[in-house]
Amino acid sequence: MNKPTTVVLGVIGADCHSVGNKILEMFFADKGYHVVNLGVMVSQEEFIHAALETDARAILVSSLYGHGEIDCQGLREGCREAGLDDMLLYVGGNLVVGKTPFETVERKFKAMGFDRVFGPHANLEEAVALLEDDLRRHAKSD
Amino acid sequence: MRNPTRLISIDIGSTHTKSALFELDGANGRLLARHAHPTTQEDLGRGAGDTLRALLGGRKDDSLERLRADTPVRLSSSAKGGLSIVAIGLVPELTLELARMAAMSAGGKVVGSYAYSLTQADMRAIETRAPDILLLAGGTDGGHTDCVLRNAARIAESSFSGPVLYAGNRAAADEVAALLRHKSLAVADNIMPAMRAVEIEPARQAIRRIFLERIVAGKGLARLAEQLGTQPQPTPLGVLRLVEAIPAHVPAWTDFCVVDLGGATTDFYSHAEPPVADERVVIKGVPEPHAKRTVEGDLGLRVSAPSVREEARELVATRLAEHRLDETALNRYMETIAAQPGHIAAGEPDETLDGILAEACVRMALERHAGRYEEAYTPQGKIFVQTGKDLRGVKRVIGSGGFLSVPANSHWLRRAFAAVGCPGRSGLPLVPEAPAFHADRAGLFPLLGNLADLWPEAAARLAVATLADADATAPGPPVDIATGQQGAHVP
Repeated sequence: MNKPTTVVLGVIGADCHSVGNKILEMFFADKGYHVVNLGVMVSQEEFIHAALETDARAILVSSLYGHGEIDCQGLREGCREAGLDDMLLYVGGNLVVGKTPFETVERKFKAMGFDRVFGPHANLEEAVALLEDDLRRHAKSD
Repeated sequence: MRNPTRLISIDIGSTHTKSALFELDGANGRLLARHAHPTTQEDLGRGAGDTLRALLGGRKDDSLERLRADTPVRLSSSAKGGLSIVAIGLVPELTLELARMAAMSAGGKVVGSYAYSLTQADMRAIETRAPDILLLAGGTDGGHTDCVLRNAARIAESSFSGPVLYAGNRAAADEVAALLRHKSLAVADNIMPAMRAVEIEPARQAIRRIFLERIVAGKGLARLAEQLGTQPQPTPLGVLRLVEAIPAHVPAWTDFCVVDLGGATTDFYSHAEPPVADERVVIKGVPEPHAKRTVEGDLGLRVSAPSVREEARELVATRLAEHRLDETALNRYMETIAAQPGHIAAGEPDETLDGILAEACVRMALERHAGRYEEAYTPQGKIFVQTGKDLRGVKRVIGSGGFLSVPANSHWLRRAFAAVGCPGRSGLPLVPEAPAFHADRAGLFPLLGNLADLWPEAAARLAVATLADADATAPGPPVDIATGQQGAHVP
């Protein structure tokens, strides 16, 4: 039996939105993942520390309150510092304030080192398909 | 009806060996006599034998076996530096924090803490320090393995020959065992099997077993244990068991702290129920146990006095000024206590100087034991971010150890709890808001701690009944410290 893939989940920064976080936890657990849910108001250090202790393959970051850009800066660099070079970083939610086109948002977060970026209306089935794809690709390059 | 049981409890401290004779009748207990004798460092058994003879009125040539023939003995020791443990974890705030918590709740003193991979220099430092136990943790079950394997390999090639306890990622246990097959290795369940899940009890039990099997002999206790027909335990483990027993058996005694201030260390125990969940409070870090012990090896009234003065410089300076004392008076006193660690303050300014040092020790131990909270403003409004243990609901504080067990010194304890926070740390400490203060005036906590595993109810009730209430105007019934003959009776 293969051991389930561990993913770390949480809402970054000073963001207290907890409903979507619970839905994501149930969804990914239902898909067979071992979900380490850190809940709301999670700092970058907490994501990295949890990923280290649990040997996670991906960090799934939510941000709903519009400050995602500031909160997420440096997470990729922090992972590299901690030795988590191959960590998959996903981010989703209402990532910026205002009506910035999604393509611009996506470009911005990919430049910060995120592997996948999702808007507020993302389809979770598509997201999990992408995650499985990315995990397979990462496993091959290991 | 059962007949009352007579029991002897002996606690070998670093300076004094104390003993007491108790009579237990079901849930009720009575102190019949107590005695203290200077600890005989070169042969711990000699001092213990002398105190036992004095306690039971035995003759000098009575053998210990004969003396204790009709009376079972319970024994604890914190002599020879107590139980020293080096804790190794992966992330400082997670598995290292829990390794330290497990070590301290097993009655140990953490003499070194290492996160992530051990360097050669770290390993040399551990070899030099030669702790009684090396506690190796890291990774959740099925989680990170590289780090504990690297650390196990480092330990394997070191000259450290003492016991190693592995309480890390279960998935790496076999490989760790293979790497450390030439060492004395014990394996316990992971202290953090899942993220933020706290399972320190198995490690705590394992430390207790290692203490009995491997360490008792090295501390010069093996022969004594045989003569007394009992197994010793580390003193703080018994006290923590007593702290766990009190809320279970004494009505209205929930949410309290015990501060045991000694010459070299300050032990801080708390039993506090977690507050009701509040959606405005976000809790960070690992969950806190109901019963918690921390021990500060740099805080104490004698051996550790120089570091107390250094770390609480501001508080000490303020108090000196308030009492119209200057630094020269303190300098002189520091020289006295450095030369005679057994010095007992008599008269002024020594008593005030002891008080100032005691307040500083207690305040810093409290700040390190208690959690903190900070206000944070979010787009959804103001919230509180809390880390560590919330002691705001603590209703009672008990002072124990030579200085704080004297009821007249309780005002120093009160001041320590009322003092403002240590500068330079962010947030506000979660310290008791309006506690009542008590003194363990007969010094019974370590001795009753020895009874707390088998007779928890009697030990808990007797512990509370023998306290002096520092807030009452009239003193409690007197207990003769020298003989304890009057005793205290729990109806």
